Amino acid sequence: MFTKARRPLTLISALVLSLAGLSTGLLASNAGAAGSTPGVTSNSITIGATVPLSGIAVSYAPVSAAANAVFKWVDSHGGINGRQIKYIRLDDCYGLASYGLGCTAGASVTTLSQNQVLVAQDHVFATVGSLGTAAEESVESYLKQNDVPQLFVNSGSKAWDDPSKYPDLFGFQTSYNAEGKIFAHYIKTHLAGKTVGFIGQNDDFGANGFLGLQDGGINIASANHLSYNAADAITGSSSDIQADVGTLAQNKVQVVVLDSVPGFTAGILEVAKALGYSPTWIISNVGADPTSVDQPSEAGAITLDYFPSATDTGDQWIPWIRQVLTADKADFPKFNASSVLTGNELYGVGYAVAFAETLKAEGRNVTRAGFVKTLESAKLSDPAITPLQYSGSNHQGLQGGVIAKIAANGSSAPVLANLTNTTVFTTGNSASSPLAQSPKLTISPIPSWLK
Amino acid sequence: MIRTFLRQETTLSRFLGVVVLTAVTLAITIVLPPVADSELAGGAAIAIVILGLSWLIGWSGQISLGNSGFMAVGAYAAGIWAHHHATTPLIFTLFLATVAGAISGLIIAIPSTRLRGPYLAGMTLAFSAAVTPIAQNFTSVTGGEGGLFMNSLATPGWFGHFFSGPNATINANAQWTADLAVFVAGITFFFMANLFHSRTGRAMRLVRDNDVAAELMGVNLSRTRSLAFMIAAAYAGLGGALYSLLQASVRPETFPLTLSITLLTLMVLGGIGTLSGAVIGGIIFSFSANLVAHVNSLTGVNPTSNLGANMQGIIFGALLILTMLFVPRGLVSIKTPVRRLFRSRHQVVEAGEVH
Amino acid sequence: MSAFLSSSIMHNIFGGVAQGVVYSLVALSLVIIWQSTHVLNFAQGAMAMFATYVGMTEIDRGIGYWWCVIISVAVGMLLGGLTERVLIRPLYGKPEINPIVVMVGFLGVLEALAAAIWTSTTRNITEPFSQIFFHDHGNLVYLSPFIIYQVILALGIMLIIAGLFRYTKLGLQLRASALAPEVSRLLGIRVSRMLTIGWILSAGVGAIAAVIQASGSFGLFPTDMDGIFVAGFIAAAVGGLESPIGAVAGGLLIGLAEQFILAYWSPNVAPLGGIIILVVALMIRPQGLFTKVAGRRV
Repeated sequence: MFTKARRPLTLISALVLSLAGLSTGLLASNAGAAGSTPGVTSNSITIGATVPLSGIAVSYAPVSAAANAVFKWVDSHGGINGRQIKYIRLDDCYGLASYGLGCTAGASVTTLSQNQVLVAQDHVFATVGSLGTAAEESVESYLKQNDVPQLFVNSGSKAWDDPSKYPDLFGFQTSYNAEGKIFAHYIKTHLAGKTVGFIGQNDDFGANGFLGLQDGGINIASANHLSYNAADAITGSSSDIQADVGTLAQNKVQVVVLDSVPGFTAGILEVAKALGYSPTWIISNVGADPTSVDQPSEAGAITLDYFPSATDTGDQWIPWIRQVLTADKADFPKFNASSVLTGNELYGVGYAVAFAETLKAEGRNVTRAGFVKTLESAKLSDPAITPLQYSGSNHQGLQGGVIAKIAANGSSAPVLANLTNTTVFTTGNSASSPLAQSPKLTISPIPSWLK
Repeated sequence: MIRTFLRQETTLSRFLGVVVLTAVTLAITIVLPPVADSELAGGAAIAIVILGLSWLIGWSGQISLGNSGFMAVGAYAAGIWAHHHATTPLIFTLFLATVAGAISGLIIAIPSTRLRGPYLAGMTLAFSAAVTPIAQNFTSVTGGEGGLFMNSLATPGWFGHFFSGPNATINANAQWTADLAVFVAGITFFFMANLFHSRTGRAMRLVRDNDVAAELMGVNLSRTRSLAFMIAAAYAGLGGALYSLLQASVRPETFPLTLSITLLTLMVLGGIGTLSGAVIGGIIFSFSANLVAHVNSLTGVNPTSNLGANMQGIIFGALLILTMLFVPRGLVSIKTPVRRLFRSRHQVVEAGEVH
Repeated sequence: MSAFLSSSIMHNIFGGVAQGVVYSLVALSLVIIWQSTHVLNFAQGAMAMFATYVGMTEIDRGIGYWWCVIISVAVGMLLGGLTERVLIRPLYGKPEINPIVVMVGFLGVLEALAAAIWTSTTRNITEPFSQIFFHDHGNLVYLSPFIIYQVILALGIMLIIAGLFRYTKLGLQLRASALAPEVSRLLGIRVSRMLTIGWILSAGVGAIAAVIQASGSFGLFPTDMDGIFVAGFIAAAVGGLESPIGAVAGGLLIGLAEQFILAYWSPNVAPLGGIIILVVALMIRPQGLFTKVAGRRV
């Protein structure tokens, strides 16, 4: 019996130790544990994020790259309060790596496992700008358990605004609920009396957006309330969007609201083209970026924007952002004065600036609790054209935006939206919070230390 | 005297064997860094599933490509329960998942036990392929594509006391989850070790090798085959639930068709119908990312290139083919010098009808 | 008439048949292999996908659509023959699980390799016929020139295969070596060559299915045949793995069933349509609905 057992014992011990040893972290597991606050040393602060750098949502990869460009810019200008910012970006393939194809990180990688690497191996101070609604919901509990702030989650779910349960969790962009309510207002004023349909992603993205439309007073017949699954792009059952668009075409729906990621926006527009179906498209900000969607028929679609138009020469942030991206030769080797600035890049710069500013306001003595407190009260200067203001009871971030129209660009892919006018709509997540309008964009100045 | 006693396969000796194996693995978790601990925890959960599959294919001679489906059933049973009843003791949640897995196994077994070989493989494949869309589409129960989220497994206070230093909480939690998963796996391995040598195990082998003879001897064929399916599905349900609890979420994309293929690969690699084969499969799963990274660095392939990104699929597929063609009994059958040194006098025929 | 063509029942029939013929082709290709070598080829879809990648990406180099189709089919047939010789031949006489496992491994390799070479992003093939649906007095008719092309091409291939098996000497030899390999050998038929030819033919049929699938609006990507393979297998199993006609009928049945369940019951249940039919069919006749009839005719 012992002889029988010894063989597996030797094998198992040898296998575990050798395979685990292949990872570099075996003996270096306590790196970065010197200070009392994880990730913070006298001359550096380490933060991380899990983002899609491969797989179906790879079109979002420039977001964290642009954020990293801001941090590099800050570092090359002396850092913040004597500290350099180190930003570790790990690929989680939008949480869909398990399908095993095209995920650089490997099929056994999950959003949680990459967060475990950030927290237990790299000892990050916080995660900043991690992406994906369902992906980030799956790590809320782990990060809370280990007291790691989860900052500026790149998703408009209202789940990030729950300070009583998750005091260290912060969103960044306008919630899908608020977006839906603003779209509802647009439909009621400009497309009154037309039938409305909806195709949303089958998670909180689509669910919250639909709720927003309903709260805004738009009635959508249940036959025209449709959804798709993001994983279909990998499993090949894209019959969802074909059936969805077919249904809307058959029901002669005149206005279609999309809560979809860019890959699916493109697929839906393509199917509609095949059906010879051309309703008025209203597309969520996260799925509308024309460079990512790359479909000529997107021209004329309505979307919500919370960043300045890249072609707006009057905005002082635009030239600065161009400078920052041009300086980052690693991630933006070909970026130059004539390159098109995309919504993804503006977004990444937006949250990176918010992080840098809060860190600056926090002063030399950085703790997690202190940072969260500062963020809840700081007056942030940001490229966004609507105010970015957190509080003890509001962790959502941006509260609204401007209605914009995707502009045609000859026969090639359309370009970033032109604002239809400068009315800024703001509203909260709940059904009862009113829709406020202000006639002017909020343009905050670039802090002088950033320039 | 003691040696002779221990050489005999008894419940006690099997118990001691599994205890020693579990203890060694637990000791290893102390040495490993927290990230490797977390990886090992996932592997322990997968090892349970592989063991169930190994039993089904190796001992009852029925092939299943649907074990990722059974995993999903267990995981959703645990997930739906834990999502609504956050304070339920873990053991109850896991028990519930095991039962749910067993029931789903029985449901699939009823039409399937009349099928042989390729029909059966295809039937289970179709089941596995249907699970993801069901989980995606019955949103009100399953949370749709976003899935359901649970609280991640908390470290009990007494365990946390063993740890100190700036990262005590993180290290304690990583090791606790690994130890918990290894412990649960240990229990399931003990049960399976006994099952292999039980009446049922022998009946199963007889049905596999000669069903006519088995029937003549009074073995109820379809009941025996259904039982094999139920046990395999119960193991898959338990493993799937444990895996999801470790991930603190249950999502449809955790259980794609490709997972069934991965499970089959790991089982064949380790060795069909053996306990240690399942352990080896679980360990390979745990550290597959490291393994692939190592192959990439050895061959000089850029891990972020297209080839690097798909290296895992290529390696695993190729390993499955090569193992089946050249070492059909898996890694456990490879004669190492160590093994020759301790060659056991009595050989138990364990592996399935693979030549 | 116009109201009839654009009615929802015709919409579902058109949609069901269009998808069904693709399932039928895959089912037919599985049956050809099963008849000749008694292997259920789990890599059938992936082999076809791979061949389609090799052929159809030639469009990028300015080669016409039809030449690309021919290249795809030729590559598919080559791959089929090689697979039989290299991977399957060593496993004859081994337990039936061994070839299943090997082909499952081959499936994994092919999909990962395709993603490594051509990336996993969907590629749209410029289709030879418009996919824009016909309109009839402003009402949508769920038929496009492409759907008509796809149905005609699939039926054409089925007729060619049927003719080959029934009326040619090769077909006779193929049937003979499948039915009675020992006798055939005595009669001077080179049985082992017939096995390879069975795989070559089957892979060619599979490649046509994959070409049709990839030319449609779903496009070409490494896993694009996974769902099709599962449906094709169900179709073949429902018809009985022995019967080519059963496979074709099974494919159409599954295609129509999926479409009607989607339309009249719930899209949630559509993926279950195939498996329900399979369970019911196998409960009635565990060896498939058409097996006996075909068994006599072969």
